[in-house]
Amino acid sequence: MKSKTSRGYLLNTVIVVVLFIGFQILTSLKGSEGSFKLVIVPSIWQCCYLMVLAASLNLVLGFMGQLSLGHCGFMAIGAYTAALLSLACERAGLFENKSDLSFLLVLIASVLAAGILAALLSFLIGIPALRLKGDYLAIITLGFGMIIINIINNLPFCGQDGLAQGSAAASLYKNGLGFGSKAKVQFLWFALVVTILSLTLMFMFVRSKYGRAIRAIRDDEIAASASGVNTSYYKVLTFAYSAFFAGVAGALYSCTNATLSTSSFAFTNGGILNSTFVVVMVVLGGMGSLTGSVVAATIMFFVNYQIKNGAWVEHLPASVSGVFEYPMLVYALVLIIVILFRPKGIFGSYEFSLQNLIPDIRRARERRKAAKAERKEAQAHG
Amino acid sequence: MKSKKLISVMIALCMLLSLGITGITATAFAADDPIVIGIISPNTGTLAAYGTGIVTGVQLAAEEINAAGGILGRQVELVITDDQGDPTECLNAFNSLVAKGVTLIIGSATSGCTSAITDAANEEEVCILCPTGTADSLTTEDDYIFRACYADSFQGAIAAAYAKQAGFEKVGVVYCAADVYSKGLFDSFSKACEEYGIEVAASQSTASLDVQDYTNQFAAMVSAGVDFVYAPYYYDVIGPYVVPQARAAGYTGIIMGADGYDTTPDYVVAGADLTVFNDVYWTNHYDPGADSEIVRSFVAAYEAAYGSIPSAFGATGYDCLYIYKAAMEAAGSADAGDVRDALADTSTVYECVTGTFSLDESGTPVKGAAIISFQSDGSAVTSTLVDVVTQLP
Repeated sequence: MKSKTSRGYLLNTVIVVVLFIGFQILTSLKGSEGSFKLVIVPSIWQCCYLMVLAASLNLVLGFMGQLSLGHCGFMAIGAYTAALLSLACERAGLFENKSDLSFLLVLIASVLAAGILAALLSFLIGIPALRLKGDYLAIITLGFGMIIINIINNLPFCGQDGLAQGSAAASLYKNGLGFGSKAKVQFLWFALVVTILSLTLMFMFVRSKYGRAIRAIRDDEIAASASGVNTSYYKVLTFAYSAFFAGVAGALYSCTNATLSTSSFAFTNGGILNSTFVVVMVVLGGMGSLTGSVVAATIMFFVNYQIKNGAWVEHLPASVSGVFEYPMLVYALVLIIVILFRPKGIFGSYEFSLQNLIPDIRRARERRKAAKAERKEAQAHG
Repeated sequence: MKSKKLISVMIALCMLLSLGITGITATAFAADDPIVIGIISPNTGTLAAYGTGIVTGVQLAAEEINAAGGILGRQVELVITDDQGDPTECLNAFNSLVAKGVTLIIGSATSGCTSAITDAANEEEVCILCPTGTADSLTTEDDYIFRACYADSFQGAIAAAYAKQAGFEKVGVVYCAADVYSKGLFDSFSKACEEYGIEVAASQSTASLDVQDYTNQFAAMVSAGVDFVYAPYYYDVIGPYVVPQARAAGYTGIIMGADGYDTTPDYVVAGADLTVFNDVYWTNHYDPGADSEIVRSFVAAYEAAYGSIPSAFGATGYDCLYIYKAAMEAAGSADAGDVRDALADTSTVYECVTGTFSLDESGTPVKGAAIISFQSDGSAVTSTLVDVVTQLP
């Protein structure tokens, strides 16, 4: 058994490294081309932070079964922490421009600080909040999400005179974390490495003793605590662990967008980055499937992006492309269709795995065949 | 079961296909191809009225220009994108436009969105002409950013000058500290108040630009005893929330706002007491009832095309395209670098619907503002021009 697990890890590592190197070569070859630089790379950056964000919420929502509606609040903490820290470092003269080695260190420090501060605050919030369950927890996390946004708004050094102002946003772009198109290509590897690392850490968490404990809490909290699982400890721990990665996603966000505005992290807003849509991503991908969250985040991003900016929209007949002038309408329709056909989400609780892919497909086909035969038999008897 | 599978496969195929097509984009434009101008504006979402105004304004100008033979003998073609009033979406829309080879862009409506793309535009050497983004910092940092409206430092000061002129010595402010637009106006208003010797007796901030309850803020204004409150917000909250709640909280004095108040009368709640809109003043880019040839012909053409009186967003959008046209004709080319150089020439005078002006060194027009007031007899809210201010006292 052990050898199979380690074989699986080895296989995944090899495939990820090969893909990563291949991608690096592709980047160095096509890095300066217009559509690659302007469309594909920014899209990958956005997908990266959405993936990490959705997967991190899945820990709380899918694996622990606690509905949290304030997840973007932690992302906001991460985004502002990383942005302010990098600006402070620049002003302290730690780095001159973005090709310096010291900038890389600042970048890593910013991402880590973003995660740690978000985790710390979620720990403080989690202790009182996680005494509640279900709808009540949803309401209190929603409230905390809003409180975080309001506090950031009114802090003199980030909301008010700081990063909401255009000139400070410009300085974020020139000196701090905000990446322009060229820098996005240059640091694409960083986004990918951070995303892969975060997903691996989350996956290992779910597979560990902690993961089993929180799944027990999801399935039956009373039974879990009766069997000796310290439920409040595991709940707060998972909440903080999840917020850490939300903070990391926030740091990636502040790299992607040269300007920061708290309205982007609100409970609802015009775009797809808000606490509601993160929940939608997790549900769409399948609660309790990290790979599902990754796939769902990518799909949701591309659907949103393509509806608005896709070149193919122009080639649709006029009656159809008229509907595309209301992107949120089309977006909602796509979501409704997916959920109608896959009520448990795209992946359900299935985890995509390279090693088990072929046996899984075979098993699924057999299951389906058996179900079909059963139905036929029932029909014949009925 | 079969049909379900078929539909799922088709949706998956659509997505794959869309991925593929994204890659094929950038195209070079030949000399007699149409000149492509991109528009980024909030066409859907809470600020949709701004986007619609800009898009219709630019479209009207494009039709007129094309009917008259185009720019430099080339027709104008518009590519319209939607940012939903969100900075991230704005950056996406910008990137997709640039990837399509568009180098002249009009957008976006709000300062918050525009600040997300100014530096990217500078890096990509793409011209941005912003119709209504009034935050001062938009144009100061970059070479490729210009605008067709005045900046907040002027707009806020005009409101303060009006308060001074009307004889107020004590004023209050209700604003949103987290928003570039609202905060910028608050800064310039309070700075001008200091200059004019007006005391800002109370200032209250709201959490965001779209909160729905302003009762406490205006109750504080009442208890501070002020009769003039400056409240820079957008139309989506002014009509339904700010003004009715201010009156309900017992505040009877003047409410003064900025260009965000435009189109408010179209968004008041049906059946509400409209007399609350008396004593509401705001500064605007232009007055649709102005008695000049260019404004009259613009308003007539716009009404004929869209059946409504153009908002300031329609007017500045319309102006943007004509400013581009003048710049391209001065440069003799539609290349972004040449157009930028032409726009950077501070001696060029543009004759536009929103005034006759030249652009200053930062790329902001030197022009006046119209002060407009709302009036209501209870059945409808109408706008009346109070004054046109071209220079600060």
